[in-house]
Amino acid sequence: MKTDPRVKLLVIVLLTTLAVLAKDVIYLAVVVLAALLINILLKTDLASAFKRLRHFLWLLLFIALVQSLTIKGGTVLLHIGGANLLTTRGIQFAVEFILRMGVIVFAGLIATTTDGREMTDGLLKMHMPYELAFMSGIALRFLPVFREEFSARLNAISMRGIDLKKIGLFKKLKLYAYLISPTVSGCIIRSGELAKSMQSRGFRANKKRTMLRELKMTAKDWTIIAVSLILTACYLCAMYIHGTLVRF
Amino acid sequence: MQITLSDLAFKYKKSLPPVLDGVTYSFQSGKLYTLLGANGSGKTTLGKLILGLLKPTRGEITIDGQSGKKLSAGKRANRIGYLFQNPDMQLFATSVLEELTFPFEITKCLTEQKKKKLSDLLVKFKLGGMEDRFPLTMSGGEKQRLALATVMSRDVKFLILDEPTSAIDQDGRAFITDFINGFVGAGGGAIVITHDEDLLTELKNPVTLKLFGGKLT
Repeated sequence: MKTDPRVKLLVIVLLTTLAVLAKDVIYLAVVVLAALLINILLKTDLASAFKRLRHFLWLLLFIALVQSLTIKGGTVLLHIGGANLLTTRGIQFAVEFILRMGVIVFAGLIATTTDGREMTDGLLKMHMPYELAFMSGIALRFLPVFREEFSARLNAISMRGIDLKKIGLFKKLKLYAYLISPTVSGCIIRSGELAKSMQSRGFRANKKRTMLRELKMTAKDWTIIAVSLILTACYLCAMYIHGTLVRF
Repeated sequence: MQITLSDLAFKYKKSLPPVLDGVTYSFQSGKLYTLLGANGSGKTTLGKLILGLLKPTRGEITIDGQSGKKLSAGKRANRIGYLFQNPDMQLFATSVLEELTFPFEITKCLTEQKKKKLSDLLVKFKLGGMEDRFPLTMSGGEKQRLALATVMSRDVKFLILDEPTSAIDQDGRAFITDFINGFVGAGGGAIVITHDEDLLTELKNPVTLKLFGGKLT
């Protein structure tokens, strides 16, 4: 039985809230593991997700490295002359940053286990105005379209005799500049066609809408909600008691 | 030029059946091949494999005796030209002239001789006087001719044309078929991927190949 998209949205909100509020490596690590476990239970294709996100992961590692080198405090681990290069506080900040981003990435992956249509239905059930819910669903649908467009244009660049792996960074940036404009305009053209197609099928012709599929919460969904809320509340209390809750 | 496919197989996903399964064939310069097959039979996939845009799950492609594994898509593109089914996917620049010059500017080989060649190409492909036009606002036939001009801006010996007549009018079609016949007549090789059975009668002495069930016949 499928999990209701509203339940998934709630779990995403709870996980990201914990990621923002926790300021301790251990507590953050537990949230990351929980997010990973949820993805495994939902049978997310983690291997292909990591493959797609690999460039982003390198960027995260780079930011973490910069943080570890620039944030001072704690015991000095590495210094050159009078300058402290690496401190325990810097490393702690970098690890916390990586873990927080890990929670956000895993929470985002939970959303990918629901198709755009179901997500729209879920948002509608949460009383979001139809136009906004539909836009959110369409936006999710357009992400793979955008990726495909960009990938096809990269192929077209290769077909001009340009070896993308062998050209320098600045030339690569110049090439990407060539790609961005037609890719974005291609997506805008597609969205315009989609709008015309929707209008020709009577989109917003009647104020009252009926749904082909009605989402219904099952006992399993209610159980997940109850367990998630209880665990989150307990976790927040534990963090408060141990003083590891971020204070604004 | 010779392109040899040996026991070539390809799957888009492990869980899906193969699109191509054990394709063995040799394409040669001086010959014109038409590749027919139903939607999803693997025609475009075969083209992309030859061009190095996809990697075979089994088998090998050799180009002039050189293993395809050692030739990147960029290197292959200097010998084999590819015309996309949708010319919009092939055009990037903000002007017709820039569309032709930018790959040579990037690779720093835009010589005076090359500029002259590109200028001649514009005339040959009936794009003279359109140097400053924005490619994406041109007509279907003009875009197709510009895309073909960008392919011919390199000294390619072999062409793969994916549905070259699917979105153009009668005049555009005549131009494309004359061009293909002329290219092959001058010693080049070409694979024309098509659904268009009328095109078969307009092309000179094509070797007709069919893809069915992952096999080439």
